[in-house]
Amino acid sequence: MWKYLIPLAFMAAPVAAQEGPFSEGSEARSWNLAWEEPARFEATVVDMLCEVAGDCANECATGRQLGLLRAADGVLTYPNKNNQGIFTGAAVDLEPFCGMQVEVDGLMIEDEYVGATNVYLVQMIREIGSEDWVTANGWTDAWAEQQPEAAAQDGRWYRNDPRVLAEINAAGYLGTGETWQEAWDITR
Amino acid sequence: MRTAIAAALICAAAPAFAEGEEVQIRGEVIDTWCYFSGVMGGPDAVQGTAHHTCAIWCSAGGIPVGLLGEDGTVYMILAIGGDDQSASGQTQLELASHDITVSGQHFARDGLNYLVIDDVVEDHGITNINHTDFGVVPGFAIPNPEG
Repeated sequence: MWKYLIPLAFMAAPVAAQEGPFSEGSEARSWNLAWEEPARFEATVVDMLCEVAGDCANECATGRQLGLLRAADGVLTYPNKNNQGIFTGAAVDLEPFCGMQVEVDGLMIEDEYVGATNVYLVQMIREIGSEDWVTANGWTDAWAEQQPEAAAQDGRWYRNDPRVLAEINAAGYLGTGETWQEAWDITR
Repeated sequence: MRTAIAAALICAAAPAFAEGEEVQIRGEVIDTWCYFSGVMGGPDAVQGTAHHTCAIWCSAGGIPVGLLGEDGTVYMILAIGGDDQSASGQTQLELASHDITVSGQHFARDGLNYLVIDDVVEDHGITNINHTDFGVVPGFAIPNPEG
């Protein structure tokens, strides 16, 4: 049954991106997501734990999530995703700009049904005053520097990452202890 | 007088942090991007055993993890037990898809809910066995064992 439900869900979704309050001037590439809105705006890059909870001791340190405090209205938007289509977040791309005023372009997700608001996919970043955009594609390069042996293997990062493989080896692809073959067989 | 004015200016310039609310919540550790964006289908398909491998990938890849509460509220997790590595951190990675009861501080800001977890009170393991309904999401999450 599931084989049919998921394609149907995609078919039922609106195709064209909706315009949002920050869509003017945006050149963001559509991901054909049901509730995406192109959004280009100026913001300050902030450390989420510091901004939300006041825990600023390690502000902007590597590995902490970063947010965008929008200049126009003071709203805190949360970049959940960078521009790469391969399960990668945005903190690595935003880290060089932490504390700076930037302009960003990307897609805002506004879906009341699942509680998504001010959730952002960042595609391009530039410091205010700079002419040059930086594409938010930095995650895999940073990963390859940290994991040179894994990066040298064939295949996508998520097939070779030692931390991912350790989790799958420990509890299987479904997380409940099935062997690889068992998990394959029961999900076909 | 100058001291008083300076103190007042410092207070005025400081960000107005939301007051955290002490909470205890039970929920599933999810990958928020797939849940919020619908990129892989409806919300029921992007949690549990069906989405476990993808939840690992996204957590390792630095996508924020959340706690999907029993009432359907998503809490964005900013720290767990003093570990502030909310982008690719090991603590959250090991909890992907797990049903956990946590205590901590709840913050609400601009329509999203945030959680600073003080303690994982109980790890119930993976209890959402939904691959029987959805298979594996995405379909390529499990490579063919025969190559």
